[in-house]
Amino acid sequence: MNRLKLISGHLSPGGSAAPLPDLRSSDCGCAAPSPEDEVVVVHGRRTAIGKAKKGSFKDTTPDELLSAVMTAVLEDVGLSPDQLGDVCVGNVLQPGAGALMARVAHFLSGFPEKVPVYTVNRQCSSGLQALLNIAGSIRSGSIQLGLACGVESMSLRSMGDPGDLSSGLSANAKARDCLIPMGVTSENVAERFRVSRQQQDAFALDSQIKAARARDSGRFDQEIVPVSVTVRDESGRERRLEVRKDEGIRAGTTLEDLARLRPAFKPDGTTTAGNSSQVSDGAAAVLLGRRAAVEELGLPVLGVLAVVGVPPHLMGVGPALAIPAALQQAGLKVNDIDVFEINEAFASQVSALPSGRPSGCRRLLLVPGTQLISISMSPCCLFSLLWMLFSSSRYLLICSSLLFLFCFSSSSSPIGSSV
Amino acid sequence: MTTMKVFRCPGRHGYAVEASPFLPNRLACAASQFYGITGSGSLFVLDQTETGVVLVRSWQWGDGLFDVAWSEANEHVLVAGGGDGSLQLWDSANQNAPLRVAKEHTQEVYSVDWSQTRAENLIASGSWDRCVKVWDQNLGRSLATLRGHEGVVYSSIWSPHIPGCIASASGDGTLRVWDVKAAACRLAVPAHKAEILSCDWCKYDQNLVATGSVDCSVCVWDLRNVTQPVSQLLGHSYAIRRVKFSPFSRTVLASCSYDFTVRFWDFGRRQPLLDTVEHHSEFVCGLDFNLHVPHQVTSLSLSPSSLPVVDQLKHTTHEVSIPLSLLGSLSGLFFLCNNN
Repeated sequence: MNRLKLISGHLSPGGSAAPLPDLRSSDCGCAAPSPEDEVVVVHGRRTAIGKAKKGSFKDTTPDELLSAVMTAVLEDVGLSPDQLGDVCVGNVLQPGAGALMARVAHFLSGFPEKVPVYTVNRQCSSGLQALLNIAGSIRSGSIQLGLACGVESMSLRSMGDPGDLSSGLSANAKARDCLIPMGVTSENVAERFRVSRQQQDAFALDSQIKAARARDSGRFDQEIVPVSVTVRDESGRERRLEVRKDEGIRAGTTLEDLARLRPAFKPDGTTTAGNSSQVSDGAAAVLLGRRAAVEELGLPVLGVLAVVGVPPHLMGVGPALAIPAALQQAGLKVNDIDVFEINEAFASQVSALPSGRPSGCRRLLLVPGTQLISISMSPCCLFSLLWMLFSSSRYLLICSSLLFLFCFSSSSSPIGSSV
Repeated sequence: MTTMKVFRCPGRHGYAVEASPFLPNRLACAASQFYGITGSGSLFVLDQTETGVVLVRSWQWGDGLFDVAWSEANEHVLVAGGGDGSLQLWDSANQNAPLRVAKEHTQEVYSVDWSQTRAENLIASGSWDRCVKVWDQNLGRSLATLRGHEGVVYSSIWSPHIPGCIASASGDGTLRVWDVKAAACRLAVPAHKAEILSCDWCKYDQNLVATGSVDCSVCVWDLRNVTQPVSQLLGHSYAIRRVKFSPFSRTVLASCSYDFTVRFWDFGRRQPLLDTVEHHSEFVCGLDFNLHVPHQVTSLSLSPSSLPVVDQLKHTTHEVSIPLSLLGSLSGLFFLCNNN
């Protein structure tokens, strides 16, 4: 330090004889931010998860779902929308990832035109990516407050059109693999990690039971925004109803029921409709901000963001890598976590996790989203986020997607487990 | 046309360069890891070729190396000063390890100089422990320790004219002139209000000394009258790291600075700044004229990607006032006198 101090003393302009006082090392700014610069989660809401094509949201356009949650989040905390620096919406199936749809939703919610919006598509992780984008904007100082959302209607749109692809696709193995249906990749994982049909069915059953218990106990009531919708039946008759509860949770499922189902993707496969997620409709929104700005506005702080991205070797086994990484980043140990939540589209992936649930964790919760959302999980990860926000326990959320995995940790206290 | 040759050495930051008094194409460079703040050091012996700069020999040292000086007696021998307070004697012909290591200074050695008076063969070292030490060419025990500076010593240079006479520059803002035999300070000049990082003797006038300071100025002093400088050369925007008088001209000197430039001055002119060279991308710490090739200057910066940058300033013509015959014997080349 002495050399540094001496040489630094040479640099004072005009040259004073005294060296610069108080030289000390300071942490690089890209490590932990100071408390006032931390990205904090303020609040979040979601719609119920509707069963696509057959459920209550089957005739509802995604802008209406999105508008409902955006309005609700801001009204709950009493924040005027003109305070938002940016809004990011995750979406997969709408044209252009729903950019126009999102702007319409904006105005349906009465947002002023000066609040910008953009959409993002990272397949199943779109909602979570929206969260990270907003967090990144806050962290880099571009905005103080932002809204991260996700929305999908799998009733009105499906995965049909892959877009304009090169004819050279067929000659490129990896490019060809992009077109593999997710169900087939689930089979690949099951085979590679030797996850049997029985294991997957058992997991699915467990998941259904827990989801039903959670729903019936009213755990989700606080976070769900009731949405009034119109549903058209086969004869064309319309009726209005208010959607408050998640659909597709099959409370009475038994192992025998599951065992009877035929494999959905491969004749001799293990993945069935029973141990896969359903296709669904829904939306969610989360309000994030820079801690200093949030506290200045008198808004609550529910958690601090610690994020680790893990590149996949195989889709789905990332949590084994992501869990330790995220814990380390948040400065927590496995035993500190009350609840581990793992979102997976397929039971094969969850079962393929080595060593099962970590010891010391009180319960391993599989959010209804696990079983209810499949290909388009845009809002799904946000749903889990909300569950965590309302559960006031130390919570580690792991979401998987086609492309990569995240861990999200929160803490009950406003100070939070510091990142 | 200014032409340049560059030697690159990743992971090392150059602190000092000196041209060999014997071999016209040879250079020695002292360099340190991590900008000299911490880590180890390296000593390089380089040869310039027509196409570039070639490594002849290199050695590693456990601490950073901050200065180097060639022997005036033996073309293979050099001395370096290190951050651990040691001086090392190296032989480029033979050894892998230093010939000799002398550790008496208690802090970083920032300056080493080999006396040019052949009869003397003494080494002077200046250290952050505020002392200047005098050694014989074998680096045995020091022959004298000159105390008096109230700040770190950055530079200690033998007079080329007066035997047993050293000038030193210090963080206490003074230029001191020492009589080695008496081990006493003959003159203390409060030359700058800021730290003085470098000094050098004029090769043609035994009374002239230049100082380069953190106050961004180079001053030329006549030791017979130190109430004010003969000339004050302004232009650098950051601290002057090294000054060197030209071996070919009484009034020409070069300075290098933390402002990434090397500047050439002629204090005999009304507008003294001759040229500014901006090829470096880091603090420029090392500077030397080539005794054999006029207009060839080597400068050295802290940038790890380059070691010496050898400038051939053929386009710069200097007004000279030395007898042509003397010129002839020194360099065998003819100067043009030109008034710009």
